[in-house]
Amino acid sequence: MKKLMIVTVLISIFLLVSMLSFSASEKTTLNFLEVQTSPDRTVLLKKIISDYEELHPNIQINLISPPYEQAEQKATMMLNTNQPLDIIEVKDLQLKQFVSSKKLLNLESYLESWPGSKTLLPFTLESARVIDNTAYYIPELFYLKALFYRKDILEKLGVSDIPKTYTELFEVCKEITDPSNNQYGFAFRGKAWEYVYSDYVISTFLDDIDVNNIYKKTNGELVFKDPRYVEGLKLYLRFYHETAPKDSINWGSNEIVNGFISGTVPFLFQDPDNVVVFNKMLGEDKYGAVPLPVGPSGKAYFGINVAGLSIPSYSEHKKEAWEFIAYFLSPEVNSYFLKNYGALPIHSVTYETDPFFSTKVYQAWAYMMEHPETHVLVKYPMDSLKYVGWAKVHEADMQSLLLGKVTIEEVLNKWTEYWQ
Amino acid sequence: MKIIEKFLKFIALMIYLIFALIPLYWIIITSLKNSKEIYTFPIKYLPEIISFESYRKLFAFTNFAIYFRNSLTIALIASSGALFIAMFSGYAISRYGFRFKKYILLSLFFTQMIPMFLIMVPLYEIFSQVGMIDKLITLIILYTNMMIPFSAIMAKAFFDRIPVSLEEAAEIDGCSKQQALFKIVLPLTLPGLAAIFSFSFINTWNELFLAVMFINSDAKMTIPVALNSFVSKMGVGWELMSAGIVIALLPTIIVFAFAQRYIVSGLTEGAIKG
Amino acid sequence: MRNKNSKFFLIMLIPTFIPIILLTYIPISKGFIMAFQNYNLYDLSNIHFIGFKNFQEVFSDTSFNFLHILLNTFLWVTGSLFFQFVLGFVLALLMTKPFKGRGLYSGLVFYPWALSAFAIGLIWAWMFNGQFGIINDILKKIGLIHQNIGFLSDPKYALISVIIANIWCGIPFFAIMLLAALQSVPSEIYEAAEIDGAGYFKKLFHITIPYIKPTIINTAILRTIWIMNSPEIIYAMTSGGPANSTNILATQMISKIYNFYDYGQSSAIGLVIVSTLIIYTIIYLKVTSLKEFSL
Repeated sequence: MKKLMIVTVLISIFLLVSMLSFSASEKTTLNFLEVQTSPDRTVLLKKIISDYEELHPNIQINLISPPYEQAEQKATMMLNTNQPLDIIEVKDLQLKQFVSSKKLLNLESYLESWPGSKTLLPFTLESARVIDNTAYYIPELFYLKALFYRKDILEKLGVSDIPKTYTELFEVCKEITDPSNNQYGFAFRGKAWEYVYSDYVISTFLDDIDVNNIYKKTNGELVFKDPRYVEGLKLYLRFYHETAPKDSINWGSNEIVNGFISGTVPFLFQDPDNVVVFNKMLGEDKYGAVPLPVGPSGKAYFGINVAGLSIPSYSEHKKEAWEFIAYFLSPEVNSYFLKNYGALPIHSVTYETDPFFSTKVYQAWAYMMEHPETHVLVKYPMDSLKYVGWAKVHEADMQSLLLGKVTIEEVLNKWTEYWQ
Repeated sequence: MKIIEKFLKFIALMIYLIFALIPLYWIIITSLKNSKEIYTFPIKYLPEIISFESYRKLFAFTNFAIYFRNSLTIALIASSGALFIAMFSGYAISRYGFRFKKYILLSLFFTQMIPMFLIMVPLYEIFSQVGMIDKLITLIILYTNMMIPFSAIMAKAFFDRIPVSLEEAAEIDGCSKQQALFKIVLPLTLPGLAAIFSFSFINTWNELFLAVMFINSDAKMTIPVALNSFVSKMGVGWELMSAGIVIALLPTIIVFAFAQRYIVSGLTEGAIKG
Repeated sequence: MRNKNSKFFLIMLIPTFIPIILLTYIPISKGFIMAFQNYNLYDLSNIHFIGFKNFQEVFSDTSFNFLHILLNTFLWVTGSLFFQFVLGFVLALLMTKPFKGRGLYSGLVFYPWALSAFAIGLIWAWMFNGQFGIINDILKKIGLIHQNIGFLSDPKYALISVIIANIWCGIPFFAIMLLAALQSVPSEIYEAAEIDGAGYFKKLFHITIPYIKPTIINTAILRTIWIMNSPEIIYAMTSGGPANSTNILATQMISKIYNFYDYGQSSAIGLVIVSTLIIYTIIYLKVTSLKEFSL
């Protein structure tokens, strides 16, 4: 027994020592925190980082990749306690929080002297400056939903025209739904950020949505009690009850994508980072993408989600951090990064010159960005403290509604009160 | 009668075994499928081709070997450390009959009632003030502290089973108290200590939330964090996750199986008689 | 002699209590304070004392009904505990007498305890999956059901499903602890009963169980406390949904952190958990009239 204890202690010491051996270096080390962590993307980031390190032998970049589910918490805790960080990826919904606690550097001066800023999309600059009309982060990619469809499955089921309105979409989905053959129509998202999906469908029934707040009308009132909103909500519920599996009340990102890949639900709203996944799992010929359908109002409202790069206000290597950011956000690197990751790039020159982002499925997004008469870009009230828990509250209420535990009126009253 | 009894017993044991093994079978099979087969319909219970692609990716894509080493080091040190420290207090509480005994034990139980999340932020602030974030030694300290109460409670119980008379006899023979403890009592509680060590090892090996918060660098990451990072915006990446779970299971099973021999074989019975 | 011993024993307690005081008791007092503060990570400039407001908000939450959460918690704890204990005990009884391959068998049948709760939640979530899950598939193949059941999406089945996963993971704990206790029962005490002609069940209930009563009570308390505080399995399987049907105190607590950034309300729920456990332990000990703890 004594021997066993001695052996254990010796092994532990050995392991401990083998970990403590590192060499001090002359290099400047930058700490880079990512928050949209996914295994494939992290590998991609590491490659870009190692390319940069080769070009700049005196710089070493330490990539910190917390798991996706914990990343927001981690970013918050690290910034709040001034942990050594030089480059930080910030999600749009966390921007206000970090700016309010004065943890992000004002990047305007860097932006001005950066040649890359000349080729940015106007939208990129607009998004960078949402808080106080000052650039506290520079967007590195955009997420925007389009309607994906399974070419092969729809062909098999005799559907030739891809729907352009929600009414059409509903009719088609209803027609092809056949529960006994496990065939449904609509990839219904019941869990985790499902409010985006219901908002997209329902808001198309109105034509006077405030572009600064998807939950308000241009006359300043909240949308929820508007009779047109009720109409839209009723259609959305019908999508669940008549064209989607009952199970989908619990479907998150994973499940709707799996449903699409397996063919169970040939219509799916998703972000462009799924293009890479679909190309790999299905092949380019089996699927396509079209712009989001419009509603009875003739309009479709959509939001764009942004992830951007920023520098903590207390960083000790601001200049070096910016140099990396400028490199990472240059048209060439940005395009390379996003070709492999799938999300939308930030420079207009990329769309103009790179065929990857302007052909095939990416045309769906290009259309939406270029036709503001039908496809209107709106913002979510991310500034508001109420936005923080809204996803969870909406999810619980919507699920209760789908299960018939509450009435439409009760839910809409609740939501109106919430945002009051 | 006896044969029917034996047969029924066998059936019952088999049912337990199948119930325990089905999920393990499923996860191993998944780790041996290639990525397209994972989401097929109808469900495949045997992969068409056995493919080690998931495992290759696991070690190529991520620094899984390094995480493995980190987890192993931390778990070994924390579990043995906690056991060593708890051994003494367990012995003290067992042997020393004083008024506060009940409260000491209750205070140990109390630590188990505290949800981790309630103290995570204060702990982070404490360690951040002394600059000990992103250090493996921090996790070792936290995990050791995490396992001390449980180890002490269990150690006390195991010491309770050893009659004081054994030590008294040794002391009459000329042993000091320390000698009696180490030479006589400890060997008898070996099965108990093995049980404590294995439970602690498993808990520290699998701990997720403290590891995510307190470690930043890739080189210091532990296995549970790596597994958790296979969940992304897209959801669960079962390819890497299944292979990761299988690899992560190996050391715990080895430690566990090793400790089983002591727990199940009933060494204590003989000792008490002797 | 006594004084020398007292010093010796007290010194032995120090290495245990220093870490616990520094790393558990001191942080919990801060956590205790947070429960009465407006502590929201989204806006840290505004931390101030708000009395019982956090508790009020948690108790009167309209989207996450508190009574429903309490009920779920009660069912989760009692359902898991009861079946883990009974099934674990039966397994221990089956394994008491040595048989060929018992070592290997124990390694295989006890491994669920070695998996992390997070992995267990993910694996079972997938097995219960309404589209690709093997449980639906097997049940259909046997002919018990004709259409897929939404185990995790139907409030009727969701809580039961997560409890099943928890039972699976907890049986080894009881089996191991009770087996160890059973091993230490001396055979002599049965001799007298056997001479009197006592049957298996009489021996079990009148001799065995009373003898290992301390172990039973203490493993039950410990396990109850752990079950109450373990949100990982539920969180990985359903995140507390659908519609609050699998939400327990512990999952609501972490939901407040991850979804609402509200450490104040989360700490309030944490305090509710701790208080409940303290009261439970006190009552439990009084009822089982255990004068002393011992495993």
